[in-house]
This record gives sequence, C-alpha cells and structure tokens, in this order.
Amino acid sequence: MPGRSARWILLAAWLLALAALGAFAIHALRIGTDLRSFMPPPQTADQKLLMDQIGEGPGSRLLLLAIDGAPEAQLADLSRGLADRLHSDAHFEQVVNGAFDPATLDDRLLAYRYLLSPTLDRHTLDATYLGEQLEQRIEDLASPAATLLKPLLPRDPTLETLALAERWAPPKPPALRDGVWFSADGAALLLAQTGGTGFDPAAQGAAIDALQAAFSALPEAATAKLTLSGPGYFTVLINANTRAEADRIGAVSTLGFILLLLLAYRSVPSLLLAALPVASGALAGVATLALAFGTAHGITLAFGFTLLGVAQEYPIRLLSHRRAGEDALASARALWPLLATAIVSAAIAYLAFFASGVSGLQQLAVFTIAGLIVAGLSTRHLLPRVLPARFRDAADTPGLVRAATFIDHLPRPRWLPWLLLALALLVLWRLPGPLWQNDLAALTPVPPDLLLRDAKLRGELGAPDVRYLLILDAPDADCVLAVSEALEPGLDALVKQGALDAAELPSRYLPSLATQRARQAKLPDAATLESALAEAGRELPFRSGLFAPFVADVETARTLPPLTPAEFARSPFGARLASMLVQQDDGWLGLATLSGVHDAAALDAFAESTQGHARLLDLKTASESLVIAYRERILRALGLALGLLAVTVIVALRSLRRAWHVLAPMSLATLLVLVVERASGISLSLFHLVALTLAAGLGLHYALFFERPVADAAEGRRTLHATIVCVLSALLVFGLQAWSSLPVLRAIGLTVALGVGFHFCLSILMARERRP
Amino acid sequence: MLERPLILRGELEYLGPGKLGKRVDTPYQEQTTVADGTASVRRGTRAPRTFALSQAPELEGFLRGFTALLGGDAGALARDFELAARGSPASWQLTLKPRDSRLARRISAIQVDGTGSAARCFRTRDADGDLNVLLVDALADTKVPTRPSQPLVDALCRGFKVP
Repeated sequence: MPGRSARWILLAAWLLALAALGAFAIHALRIGTDLRSFMPPPQTADQKLLMDQIGEGPGSRLLLLAIDGAPEAQLADLSRGLADRLHSDAHFEQVVNGAFDPATLDDRLLAYRYLLSPTLDRHTLDATYLGEQLEQRIEDLASPAATLLKPLLPRDPTLETLALAERWAPPKPPALRDGVWFSADGAALLLAQTGGTGFDPAAQGAAIDALQAAFSALPEAATAKLTLSGPGYFTVLINANTRAEADRIGAVSTLGFILLLLLAYRSVPSLLLAALPVASGALAGVATLALAFGTAHGITLAFGFTLLGVAQEYPIRLLSHRRAGEDALASARALWPLLATAIVSAAIAYLAFFASGVSGLQQLAVFTIAGLIVAGLSTRHLLPRVLPARFRDAADTPGLVRAATFIDHLPRPRWLPWLLLALALLVLWRLPGPLWQNDLAALTPVPPDLLLRDAKLRGELGAPDVRYLLILDAPDADCVLAVSEALEPGLDALVKQGALDAAELPSRYLPSLATQRARQAKLPDAATLESALAEAGRELPFRSGLFAPFVADVETARTLPPLTPAEFARSPFGARLASMLVQQDDGWLGLATLSGVHDAAALDAFAESTQGHARLLDLKTASESLVIAYRERILRALGLALGLLAVTVIVALRSLRRAWHVLAPMSLATLLVLVVERASGISLSLFHLVALTLAAGLGLHYALFFERPVADAAEGRRTLHATIVCVLSALLVFGLQAWSSLPVLRAIGLTVALGVGFHFCLSILMARERRP
Repeated sequence: MLERPLILRGELEYLGPGKLGKRVDTPYQEQTTVADGTASVRRGTRAPRTFALSQAPELEGFLRGFTALLGGDAGALARDFELAARGSPASWQLTLKPRDSRLARRISAIQVDGTGSAARCFRTRDADGDLNVLLVDALADTKVPTRPSQPLVDALCRGFKVP
C-alpha cells in the first residue's frame, strides 16, 4: 500500500493534470452552434438547398417586430428611432418600418431609375405621356402632397423614384399611420433582416440582444413593449428554455446523486474522489476533440456528456467491491477484466458511428471512446492509489442480506423472456400510429401562443412564408433575372386567383440586362426630349427650363452601362437581392419568397409548367427527408455497433452461453423500452435513439456483473450493492428529466429511465448465475 | 416653379378635431381626406395616394391651421400663425403667416377672404412665390379664366363678379 504522502502527491499530480487538460481544452476547442454541422451531408438538390436555406435563406433571417403599449404618435417615434439605430448596427442587413426613405435611391442609382422602373415598358417619354404626367403634377401641386413632391419635380417629373420605392416596398405592406406601419390592433410593425444565419443561436442571440438594447436605449421606450417573432427568435428562445430547464433538473439530480452516494458509502473523501474518473474522461474527450477536429458542435458535447454517464459506474463498482483484508488496488485488479470488457465493447461499438459519414456523429464517437477509456484507466490505475485506506465493506450494508435473499428466491421462469418477446413483437406489429417522428421541430416545439402571434404578425406584415420557396434555375445570375421576369405575369395571375397572397421575385429589385437595354433604347435624346417637354407643357403654367435636371438625367441614363447584380449589391437593396441569388457549382439559383400560400398544388403546377425553369421547394418535406436519411444512417451504425458488441463480448467471455446470458437481457430490455414508448403513443426521434444507446450501455454493465461467477455470498452482495447504487443514480438523474415539460429532455429522460428499469429486472431474471 | 396661379373650385370641410376634407370640382375632380396623421388624395378612379403627415412635418402645421380655421379654434390658430385681419364683416380678409420655421420655408402665407361667417376664397402662397387658390361656397359657381392674372385672382377672391 502506498504511503500517505505518496497518496497526496499522486492526487495533486492528477488534479494538476486535469487542470492542464481543462485549460488546453478550453483554449483549443471552438464550439460550433450552427445546426448544419450536426446534419448528414445532403443528397438531393432540395436537401442541398435546404442546408443553405437553414440560416441563410431570406425568410429564416427575418425578425418580425411589433411595438405596442403606448399612444400611436409615440409608437411611431419609437419605430423610427429603432429603425435609425438598427440601420447603423452591423448585426442587421436591412430594417424597414414603412417610412419613406429618401436614401432608397442614392445619387449613383438615381440616374438608373429609367432602367429599373417598368414605366418605359408601357410608355415612351413623348409629348403625350409627358403631357399627362405634367398635368397630374399640376394637380399634385395644388394638393397637400405639394410640399412633399415639390423638391422632386425638376429632376423627376414622372415621379419614377416614387414608382421604384413602391415597387421595392414589401409586396403586401401593412397600413401606414404616422408614416410607419401599424397593425390592425394598433402596434407599430417593423421587419429586420439579420446578417447572422437564422438557426445559429449564438448569432441570433447577439442580434436580438443588440435589438433589445437599441430599443431600451430609446427615449420613451420604458412604457412601450417590444415583441419579437420569427425563426431566429424562436431558436434563441427554445435554446434558453431548454438550457434553463436542463440546468434546473441537473442541479436537483446532482444533489440527489451526492446524497445517494453518501448514503451508500458513508465517506465524503470517497465521494469526492469518485468524481475524478468521470471528470478525467470528460476532459480527455474534449481535449481529443480539440486535437482531432479543432471544433465541436454544442450538440456533440451535450450528447457526449450524456453517453459518458456510463463511466460513473466504474468508480461505483470499485467502491462497492472493496473488501476487508484487500487493498483498493487489488480490488481494482480483480474487477478489471470485466470493466475492461465493458469499456472495450462499448468503445468498439461506438466505432460504428464513424461509418455514419456525419461529422457530428463522428465527433460524438471520438469524444465518447476517449472519455470511456480514460475514465476506465484512471479507475483502474489512479483511483485505487488515492482512496483512503479505511472503508466500510458494502457487503455489510444493513438490509442488503435480506434484499439479496429476496432476489435469490425470486422465481425465474425460463419461459418468461420468450413470452415477453412474443408480446413485444405482437405490440410492435399491431400498433397503429407513425413509428418515427420526422419533424425535428416537434421535439423543441414553439409554444402555440407564440406561433399564433407569429402567424398574425406574418399576415399583417406580408412577410414571406418560411415553408415554401420558388426556386429559379439558370446558368448565370442574369439568366435568373430573365427567368424571374418571365414568371412575373404567371405569378401575378396566381395571386389574383388567390393561390397565394404575394410573391417576391428577384427581378422586382433588378431587371435583367436585356430588359435594361430595351428600356435604355427607348430613352429620347436631349433635343427630342426638350421639344416633347415644350409641347407637353405648352398649356401648363410650369416655368420654362424648370425640367433641365430631368433632361440631363435622361441624357446620362442613355449611355449608362446596365446594372449587374454585383453592381447593385452596393445599393441599399443590394443585400436583399444578394440573398435571393445563390451561386452553385453548376449555375445560379434564384429564390423567390412567397407570402400567404393558400394553394401549394396550384403553385406546384405552375412551377411544373415552366419547363424546368422553376420549381416549388417545400422546406418541410425536404427537411423531413433529410431527417429520414439521417436516421437510416444512425440505424445502420447502431446495427453495426450491436454486431461488434456481440462479437467483443463473445470473445471476451470465451463462451457463447455466457455471452448469451449477457446479450439477451440487454437486447430484450431495449426492445421492451421501444414497446412501452410505442404503446404510449410516442413516435421515436434521434434523441430516443441516443438515449436507447446509453441505456443499452448501462444494461451491458448490469448483465456483465450479474453474470459473473462469484466466490462467496458476500461478493454477490457487493455486486448487488454496486448495481443498486448504479440503478438508483441513473433512475434519479434520468427519471427527473422524464418529468420535464420539454419534449427533448422528456424523450431522453423517459427512455433512459425505462431502459435502466428493464435492464435491471431482466439482468436479474436472465443473467444471474443459478444457485442451488 | 409656376408662372401663374392655380385656381381650383371646390369645398373645404371640417370633419372634427384633426380631421379635414377637401373636395375639388374643377378643373378636375379630387377628394382629399386628412385624418389620424395621414393624408389620402383620391383623383378620379385611380388608387388613392396616401402619405403620412410626419413625412412632411411642415405640412402638418399647414393642415392644423386649416383645421383650426374651419373649426373656429382661434386659440389654436394664433398659436401656429401670426394673424392679421382687415376689411368689414361684409368683406373681410384674414392673413396667416406661419410661426414654425420649417413651414415658413415652404409656405409664406395663407390668405382667407370671406363675407359674414362664410369663407369664400383660400389663397396659399408658397415660399417660391407659387400661388394656389381654392374658391369655395358662393364663388364655387364662378367661371374661372384659364390664364388668370394676379389682379384678376384678387378681384375674384374679394367677391367681384368677373366679366
């Protein structure tokens, strides 16, 4: 037995090594939050697009804002103030609140107005058209609009700037009051497009924080209320809720876990030291991720820590199996063959995740394998050397003899497992209802009242639907714009028929080069325009020479090179257009957003009729197909893992019969969990599968240890003690999660808790050595 | 901007606090409604052009003046405008000069001519000298010349029959 001082030195060295590992891990590992790195590689074109759309699509980056709770004039001021502040905020690409923004057309674009506006498609700047326009301007000058329009007239008598501002406003804008958008129930409305991707909780969180800070910094903001909605806001909200609830449950279950271990081992030092192997495993896992990948997804870590829960069994086994007259190292040595079998078989099983081809799952495998091995080795070699020499033999725990006798005398009918299996298969075969939950959103649901509010705001603002997109396909960006122009009449007809409320095509912002050139060709030269103007204004009271700036602008426009998407990108609406034009390996895509889709079938039929130029993308269907593909990979990986596990156990135990005693209860228990969840009407998701894997890992331990031949009754009681402590702690931690209000936590908690129960009972029933 | 005055015939209506209606009958038909901080101008069968008064803050003062005038709110009128009156109850003239500098940059004065309790002519002179005339009430039937001169407008507003 090592001396007292040697113990302390080893402990200090261990802790130092952990601290160093932790510092390295924190320094070297970047934690990603973008959901896409946890998704399988997309296969179909729609899935590829979906991956781009998750986050980067125009719809998913849009935040809907409503301000209410104050008099209308104050709300309008707040809306203008907020828009002003957000205009200069790097988190936001575009903020609109309905206010006429004179900066919409800067000086550079102003001359382009005749190329951008559709006016010249229907008219020419001849004496007839100009005469009509000038007459209307006279009427405008006598109306209250005069003060507004007067500064524009000399340069823009046909009011092309207003025509463009109208064209670039959202397709179905809300009512204007006090110069800004208002909802029917009197809230000021705004739309904000974030720069960060929509399903990146970190980027969205930063944007929303900036937004709320900007709002509360406004004077008079105190009495008013800012309401947010949109995919980005939901992502942040759900993340915060899930984390808060997980933290709450985690705090309670940690406390219970500590009490349980204190009760089981009556020793504070043992309790503290027992935490070290798992801590070592977790830090080693993180450090390995840092070395191997440099980055890890937040979900990888969350799942990884869950799966590493298995490792908490190692120190518990060691503590329970110590016996009088033997030092801890000897106990560890005696336990090791079995622990090593468990660790190696689990590690080999997790190798199967590598075959999944999903980087998130590969990271998970690396983390878990490294964590399990380090936790196991430190339980074998380090923990026994630092444990206090004095301990209480677990075999002498009061009541344990009676419990052991009770369990020994339980009837163990050989037919019972077969009956359970038959019943389970019958239930699985006959049960109605979908087996799989493909809608990932169902696991992290947005509260219904928020969804209702979102639908209402979306309707009022005419904001695009996040589910449907019209995809335009063309060899280059300009061809996308030409296709978009060609689709305009058909879509307008569909809007009239009521198939949808509005569509927003890329050509709304920028016409194709050909269209721009055609408009340019219709512009008259200066002399022709002068004489047309003179004829048009002959009977009107405009001063002669008033429209010289107009004539100069038209002359400039005649020789301008047409605007390309790249040139347009620098304009205030450039970001909007850029988000609608996507470059791909073999061409360009245009994304037209649709608002208020009532008849998806009609839109689909319309898209079909365009000879492949356009198609309707249903993001929900595409994402569900992605989830199905993902699950198939996981299921294949798990099937492979099960095979590897069986082989490892058979090799380690060198006996088919003994391996059967270990593997049969584990497999049947997993099946029973499935049956119970299906019978309760639960459809299975990826989270259920991860939880089943963890439960199977725990069940493997129970079966391995119960199956182990023991020398005497006391050793049998120690095994029972260790297993009961393990079962109770797992039930405590995951049973609490099963009561969570969040479906994702409930899915994991319920599955593991059920699994632990079934694995324990079936291990007793099927794995334990029969004693006379 | 304009070489000669614009003359319209029509009606101004007071529709309650902050609300104003203006109807033009000739030379074209137009209906303007101002309410809840928004002005809406409808001409013929075309869709109305709507804009917020806050887009042109000076416009708000201008319409507030008209509303106060039609609503008979002398206090509100005196707050926003310097007032000067002359003439007799049978033929009076009220001149309003905006106090607000933003409004003054666009509009130099509003002149209202009337008789008894009825106004018959509103003249709005823009800062650049352009003149808008709205003939209402008794004068709404008067024939308006196509190329009116300043003295002619003056005579019309003061109630003289123009040959």
